[in-house]
Amino acid sequence: MIAPVSKIREPLVYGHKTYHQITEDLVAPTEKAPSLSWMLVFIPALVLLVFGVFSIYWTIYVGIGTWNLNKTINWGWDITNFVWWIGIGHAGTLISAILLLFRQKWRTGVNRAAEAMTIFAVMCAGLFPLIHMGRIWDAFYIMPYLNTRGPVWPNFNSPLLWDVFAISTYLIVSLLFWYTGLVPDLATIRDRSAGLRKKIYDFFSLGWTGAAKHWQRWEYLSLILAGLATPLVLSVHTIVSFDFATSVIPGWHTTIFPPYFVAGAVFSGFAMVQTLMLISRKVLNFEQYITLNHIESMNKVILTTGSIVGVAYLTELFISWYSGYIYEQFAFFNRALGPYWWAYFGMMFANVVSPQFFWSGKIRRSVGWTFFLSILINIGMWFERFVIIVSTLARDFLPSSWSFYSPSWVEIGIYLGTFGLFFTMFLLFTRVAPVIAIAEVKHILKTSGDQYVGKDAEIQH
Amino acid sequence: MKKDNSNNVWIGELDLKRDPEFMENASNEFKDTPLFEMLGEEGVLTNQKSSRRDFLKFLGFGVGAAVVAAGCEIPVKKAIPYVIRPEEIVPGLATYYASSFVRSGDYCSILVKTRDGRPIKIEGNESSEVTFGGTSARAQAEVLNLYNTNRNKSPLKKEGDAYKQISWKELDDEVMKGLKNGGSIRLVSHTNMSPSSSKLHSEFAASFADAKIVYYDPVSYAAVLRANELTVGQRALPEYRFELADLIVSFNADFLGTWGSPIENAHRFMKNRKPDDPKNAKMSRLVQFESHMSLTGSNADNRILVKPSEQSSAAVALYNKVASLKGAGKIKALPLNEKAKKAIDKLGSDLVKAEGRSIVLSGNNFVGEQIIINAINHLLGNFNKTIDFTHADLTRQGDESGLAGLVKEMETGKVSTIIFLDCNPVYDYAGRETFREALKKVKSRVSTAYSLDETANVCDLVAPNHHMMESWGDVQPKRGHYSLIQPVISPLFDTRQAETSLLFWAGKAQGVKEEVYFNYLKANWTSLIPGDFFPGQTFENRWNQLLKEGVVKASVSQISVAFKGNVNDAVSMLPKTGNTPIEISFYETVNIGNGQYAENPWLQEMPNPVDRTVWGNHLAIPIRFDGVNRYESLNNLKDGDIVSVELNGQKLEVPVVRAFGQMEGTVSLALGYGRSNAGMVGTGVGVDANAMLSVKDDLTVYFGEQVLISEKIAKDKDFASVQYHHTMGLKAADGTTGEQINADERELVDDFWKNFTSGFQGALTERSIIYQSNLKELDDKTKSLAEKRAKFKKLNDAQIYNGYDQNYALGHHWAMHIDLNACTGCGACTIACMAENNIPVVGKHEVHRHHEMAWLRIDRYFYGDFENPNVVYQPMLCQHCDNAPCENVCPVNATNHSQEGLNQMAYNRCIGTRYCANNCPYKVRRFNWLDYTTADIMKGNEPALHLGNKEYNEESLVFGSDNLTRMVLNPDVTVRSRGVIEKCSFCVQRLQEGKLNAKREERKLTDKDVRTACQMACATNAISFGDRNDEESVVTKKMNSPLSYYVLEEVNVRSSISYSMKVNNRDTELNA
Repeated sequence: MIAPVSKIREPLVYGHKTYHQITEDLVAPTEKAPSLSWMLVFIPALVLLVFGVFSIYWTIYVGIGTWNLNKTINWGWDITNFVWWIGIGHAGTLISAILLLFRQKWRTGVNRAAEAMTIFAVMCAGLFPLIHMGRIWDAFYIMPYLNTRGPVWPNFNSPLLWDVFAISTYLIVSLLFWYTGLVPDLATIRDRSAGLRKKIYDFFSLGWTGAAKHWQRWEYLSLILAGLATPLVLSVHTIVSFDFATSVIPGWHTTIFPPYFVAGAVFSGFAMVQTLMLISRKVLNFEQYITLNHIESMNKVILTTGSIVGVAYLTELFISWYSGYIYEQFAFFNRALGPYWWAYFGMMFANVVSPQFFWSGKIRRSVGWTFFLSILINIGMWFERFVIIVSTLARDFLPSSWSFYSPSWVEIGIYLGTFGLFFTMFLLFTRVAPVIAIAEVKHILKTSGDQYVGKDAEIQH
Repeated sequence: MKKDNSNNVWIGELDLKRDPEFMENASNEFKDTPLFEMLGEEGVLTNQKSSRRDFLKFLGFGVGAAVVAAGCEIPVKKAIPYVIRPEEIVPGLATYYASSFVRSGDYCSILVKTRDGRPIKIEGNESSEVTFGGTSARAQAEVLNLYNTNRNKSPLKKEGDAYKQISWKELDDEVMKGLKNGGSIRLVSHTNMSPSSSKLHSEFAASFADAKIVYYDPVSYAAVLRANELTVGQRALPEYRFELADLIVSFNADFLGTWGSPIENAHRFMKNRKPDDPKNAKMSRLVQFESHMSLTGSNADNRILVKPSEQSSAAVALYNKVASLKGAGKIKALPLNEKAKKAIDKLGSDLVKAEGRSIVLSGNNFVGEQIIINAINHLLGNFNKTIDFTHADLTRQGDESGLAGLVKEMETGKVSTIIFLDCNPVYDYAGRETFREALKKVKSRVSTAYSLDETANVCDLVAPNHHMMESWGDVQPKRGHYSLIQPVISPLFDTRQAETSLLFWAGKAQGVKEEVYFNYLKANWTSLIPGDFFPGQTFENRWNQLLKEGVVKASVSQISVAFKGNVNDAVSMLPKTGNTPIEISFYETVNIGNGQYAENPWLQEMPNPVDRTVWGNHLAIPIRFDGVNRYESLNNLKDGDIVSVELNGQKLEVPVVRAFGQMEGTVSLALGYGRSNAGMVGTGVGVDANAMLSVKDDLTVYFGEQVLISEKIAKDKDFASVQYHHTMGLKAADGTTGEQINADERELVDDFWKNFTSGFQGALTERSIIYQSNLKELDDKTKSLAEKRAKFKKLNDAQIYNGYDQNYALGHHWAMHIDLNACTGCGACTIACMAENNIPVVGKHEVHRHHEMAWLRIDRYFYGDFENPNVVYQPMLCQHCDNAPCENVCPVNATNHSQEGLNQMAYNRCIGTRYCANNCPYKVRRFNWLDYTTADIMKGNEPALHLGNKEYNEESLVFGSDNLTRMVLNPDVTVRSRGVIEKCSFCVQRLQEGKLNAKREERKLTDKDVRTACQMACATNAISFGDRNDEESVVTKKMNSPLSYYVLEEVNVRSSISYSMKVNNRDTELNA
């Protein structure tokens, strides 16, 4: 897939890397003893995970009543977190699949980590629909399987059931994609190791020899999976948005939700990738592989999707006014000025105003600014889901049932626990597999290495 | 062979010989426990030679035994089949017995539903001409009281601070010893409306040298009784024929909730309050004078706000107005607020126009005021027309002056024995401090208390009474109206009916305790009770007929009364009007009374209909609009803030609730809470306002002046209200422009935005939830309703999925209609629903978290002027939508639709995603957040009922976790476990039964076959239920009324419950 590249293009790999250096650099984190900074992040992550596991145990043992939900607000932090994590899981597939199809070379610096992030985020997300059930031990009822109860089938009209299929499909495809990409790199590690380590990597690299036929099939498989995954990028969050859009509750019952949710998901996903990559490139010394160009490209995606989200918010406000429907109008009035106004304005600022800073090239290429704004966007997107779920339910049709909600320690504990799970998994991942796809970086070295393109180019093709 | 081997079964020779040692061993099967005996003997362990090895042996044995014992435990199954089937009991079929609910002046003729010998539900008796098949929340909840875990289970004797169980023989000996000692004997009882029991009381008194009975009422009716005796010669409450009155003026009498005979009153009152033809609509007008909004006040068309101390002044002013129009002499006017004066001016002339078709009544405890009220009724010619004494109400006959006299007697030391018959003066008598002190001088103190209440706690002997459902008895709630009480279960514990105890103690009877009073009662009915009931048959037949019917009406002589009182003297008897900044009034709530019902968890968890709080009483404080954006209240207090209230040196710390309709400059507090001895349920719930009552001229005064209210001193962290938002668009004047604005819609914005925005006008008023109209504009309002509904219909029909209506065209299509005009908000239906459907009680802390489980709630909204609002009650339950939003979102089909239009729940299928509850526009679905019913497989995770009640934090139990309370469960309804959603089922178990009955009898199903629990409980027939496909059914007719509408019709959920528009007859001039 090497195509002629203009010499004035910014290089994507710096440091005049050779193939061997790339291997050395990228495999290094899996071969060295964990660094102090790694330990400093891993231990708190593990502590959070343990706290989360205890909170989940407490929920299941005592009941959902340990949460502060009530007869009016039946979903709170649980589903907020679910949608938030699912959204975060969106960047991975987008980068791997859509950018692959569009031949975006800059994806190679970040795709592996983004895919891993997707999988861990979807795992965190998938936890919530499970544990928010009152009777998790009967969770298998939602599976359509042959049974002797009539047979009783699940309700195929229910968006919650669509969620089950959408999310599990997404998880499976993402996992396959990620693993397919990993195979050549695992083989690279195998070839450098000995003993038990070699045996393990040998098993997981599925007999990869680097034969031309292997590479050819690998390329094809990647393309096919990319083709499968591309619709999923759009479908998963569309279906998640149906949880709300197909209901009758004013503030949920809107047709704009699918595109709005997808844009929001990509938006938050890229913000999370930024957050993680900015830390990883520093901690793992990958500055020459994850360059300011990568960061800038992702910031452009954030700016675009953030603006789409902003337009969606304003459209929603307009439509609620234009509908002439008292409940719809009140729902949005209440979002903005009711008891949860701070969440609404937090969301508006973080999601609509803050990405606009990326119109400035300086800010787009500033690591500090990018990191700060990516965190802000993640908070803003959490607020968005909180606003949609809680402030809508808190004051719906019948004023007699209006209510208020704030989380209990158990709910906070579970949320923190998913952070623990996410970071534990991610940190372990950095120890066992290359965080940057070695094979793919090597693939673009001769077109995008700084010895070939850019102002420091030395080697002529 | 010795003959004392009673059952002729013997084990070997020794048994036959009745060998003493053998007999001893036989009676003590597990006598040989050498190891433990050895361990118990002193020195055995210490003097052992090889003690270490023995220690290990003992240890090994101990641990081993414990393991074996723990491992071998076999769960005890307590189902015992009948070997011989009792004649009346068919397993699975309910048996109904006619009986009566009687408790401290509350009366209801009832049918008790029993299943397999257990009473599980109370229904109203439709044969009764007193209660007309209606019930009250109190009556509905009585069935749970039978299974009160706190009830006394045997006779008790106090030793030190503890009570010891003794036998009835021991108790009788002790009591009779005291009775024979000489000295005065006094019986204290609440009003006794049983003719036989009254006769027994007098016979008991006659059999001793100096014995007397003191009757009083937990909330006093002494003034009205005295006034009636003085001026019309009848010591009784009259029969108020509200159905004949066009204008009703009530001074602080909560006659729809607690005062007099509320079930009957509500039934009669609402007969004249159901306009159905918008063109010629007619209904009565109710004007209530009060400072605190009572249940009656909330149903009034106009409320005229007067301070508690001005009540009598208002009565005087009304008298003067009526007298001036009727040409009678005026009396001395007393100071009164200007608004009330103006209102009375108009009201007086309206009353005169409604001569003979009006009622004036007062619930104030001042003889002078009651005389003036009688005088007004006399001038208006209401006596013998709308106010009649022929069938006078006999439910209240007490007078607390008897207790005052008793205190004096006790202080002299001449009273040697005092017997409390199911009454609790140490708690509910206003002069209780002196009463308690004086009581110490009485040698023998006996109580027949059902549970160890405050009074029983200062008695030496407790002879526990049966529950009403274990007793025999008769009642005469009104002159000429009789009803019977019959046992429906054999006594659960070693208790004895109080009447039987009296008969034994007076030496008038011996024998089997369960038969004694029955024989007495029956004998009384053969001789004393009017013999003309069910004439023309033998006594046995008539008696059986009576038992079956439960009620009988005897002919009584017509009584016409004439007023002969002196109104000028009456004025001089009135209290002086105070002039203090804040006055406090004390009132009785619909659910708890004056503490008689505090032990009942259903009633504790039932929201106070007016302020919507549960599990405790709250100081109601007035609300004012600041003219811009905010409601303000006294000392800027918020709901649940605790303040210190001081009155006459008595201090209470009580949480406040901001109450619309509470008059500026007044506060109010409910009686009956803060019981110190009311078991797990009632103890320490709320504060004891009885401490603040005073006594004047031997009459209890139910208000106080000079009350001091502190700033916020703390916060009730478990403040439990079932409704946060209370209003549907209250109006107030804008502070700057003076124009009428919608104050609550301005209030809706968060505090932060108050200065920038003025709310969202129309947010509440335009909701399609409550439609209300003034009687005058009813025709216009029904037309605009019809237009709106036509618009909704057009919207709803414009869709791709049509044909919902055809889905239910065949067979039954269940539907309900609720008449908002007839609903008084009394809450009887909510308790009936709890009883019928095994709804768990969750306790204060859980209600605070909005986890209450009630399937049927009564939403209460204020509308109109914020200072003096009107109220609408809206019973809200599952609407059984035919296009139900809950059904299509359930991922597992746990909630689905029946072919008869029922929205049904399959609990076993529910996995608890709560999506249905979110998507319910009416928010009627309830989730089992915790293991409320102890039906969960996991142990030790049950929430304590009394989480938050400081008195019971340690030993709190889960409600219904014990076998006694579980006896109240309805076997036809599944007990739900943790983690599943539940909701109103339209009493599907009753529908199935009704359908089967009709099918078995091969006839068409009628309205009578299918009646829901809420519908049957209602005293005013506000709820109709039936088959919408049946053109004959009441519900079809009501649904077609021009006043009918569906809540949130435009959402197109196609609900099966229609409501009728609330019509008020407010006279705007009265509150100008």
